[in-house]
Amino acid sequence: MPKSVWNGTVTFGMVNVPIKLYSGTESKAIHFQEVHAKDGARIEHRRVCPKEDREVPYKQIVKGYEVEDGQYVVLGNDEIKAAAGNRRKVIELSDFIDAGEIDPVFYEKTYYVGSRDDKDAFELLYQALRKTGRAGIGRFSFHDREYLVALRAGQGVLLLHTLRFHDEVVSGQELEVERGTKPSDKEIDMAGRLVSSLSEKFSPRAYEDTYRDAVLDLIKRKARGEEIDVVAQEEPAQGDDLAAALEASLAGSRS
Amino acid sequence: MARALWSGSLSFGLVNVPVQLVSAARDLDYHFQQLHDKDKVPIEQRRVCSKENEEVTWEEVAHGYDLDGKQVVVTDEELGSVQPRKTRTIDVEAFVDLGEVDPIYFDHPYFLIPAGDSEGTLRAYRLLVETLADQDQVAIGRFVMRTKEYLVAVRAREGVLALSTMLFHDEVRPAKDVESGGKKPSKKQLDTAVAIVEGLSTDWDPGRYQDCYRERLKRVIDAKRKRKTIEVPKPEKEPKPAPDLMDALERTLEQLRDGEQPRSERRASDGAKSGGRSRRGAQRSR
Repeated sequence: MPKSVWNGTVTFGMVNVPIKLYSGTESKAIHFQEVHAKDGARIEHRRVCPKEDREVPYKQIVKGYEVEDGQYVVLGNDEIKAAAGNRRKVIELSDFIDAGEIDPVFYEKTYYVGSRDDKDAFELLYQALRKTGRAGIGRFSFHDREYLVALRAGQGVLLLHTLRFHDEVVSGQELEVERGTKPSDKEIDMAGRLVSSLSEKFSPRAYEDTYRDAVLDLIKRKARGEEIDVVAQEEPAQGDDLAAALEASLAGSRS
Repeated sequence: MARALWSGSLSFGLVNVPVQLVSAARDLDYHFQQLHDKDKVPIEQRRVCSKENEEVTWEEVAHGYDLDGKQVVVTDEELGSVQPRKTRTIDVEAFVDLGEVDPIYFDHPYFLIPAGDSEGTLRAYRLLVETLADQDQVAIGRFVMRTKEYLVAVRAREGVLALSTMLFHDEVRPAKDVESGGKKPSKKQLDTAVAIVEGLSTDWDPGRYQDCYRERLKRVIDAKRKRKTIEVPKPEKEPKPAPDLMDALERTLEQLRDGEQPRSERRASDGAKSGGRSRRGAQRSR
């Protein structure tokens, strides 16, 4: 297990549970570097003062918040830290909610919660959350920023999810999507049957990132000096006859 | 209207719905700009070719990959030729119950909105929204956006199609090495802890939780603008584990039964402002 990223204490009432956090996820996407297409040389990002037209060392850079056009309030790192509050080492669980009620749009990032010295209190918290199916809601300070979090018992592991705040989530109504005409009963019935026929239990292992391997393969072919065919991308044909497309899909899924 | 981050087709069976992807999360953070200390001019980031020492435009930038010490350069066009269908189409592979998807998989929320306003597109879109809502099912599929493949869950939310990008199973770390708890709690301990959890239980109402960090940062900016000094609060000490777990549990439960907001002694004695909202019994769901 990689190193823990945070140490602190979860509290509920007068019970204090010392914990460690570990990142629960890691991106496996292929990482590229920016290079100059012409000569393959690395691209450097340089910080330049446009007024003096010269590079500025990091030491001479300050952080400013634009309050009016071109008007900045400059804040020191300590002043920005002041906004993080003083509860840097405590996650106080103030409410417990039914974990299933949290809409997926709220979930941001997941950490694994590990125990520290008081392992009995840790086990008790895990068991109580497991038994009730509830998630504890609290606030968590990390890298000078405060997050809303949900603490939840997973399969044999305690999980901490950072959550988006309600005003950060866009509602469907805001989009003002134009509504089409009502589908016919026959279409609704066929679509329903199509969904049922493809219905299964979610098993994450059934879905591999095949693109990752395909990109690596492309890189290897390119390294061998192979010419890469840049094929034209085809748009899928958009059938006008919805009912016919559904019917054909159903026939296909039955076979 | 929100900016489209991707456009293509949502394809299920032989039905194709032209769609655009827009973000369902908005960034409300206060963002700082880098300024040159001396003249308070915003810093520009310039891309410079390390060999030529000349500025490079975005169009001249390609992707470099270090293959066992050998640099390989690929272009956007070449990357686009890898599994091209996936860059234009979200193929629905299965329908599942939302409750079966562990939240650890969720990455970023988006909406899929109909692309264009042709009658056929809008009708197919509406059919899919209504079918997913009726059956309470989530469509699972995959697609490629900006050189990365995503596993996605598409469902009906507030009359539109909501898409969540998800992690692939190998991007979720194994949890087996995470240090777990100690001995199994006694029945009395567990019953008391469960009673506390139930006593503090409420319905999930996201609107009740404000982003205090954002509010505090705003106050810091305002104060600095008025040239007031900003006091950096002293970090609170980390509380120590209770010497007697059962005693801490019982006293917490007593406080709850007396209708008080349970507070650790640490907070009560250092006179820290509660910062919490008042709790009324009537708000409780149980």
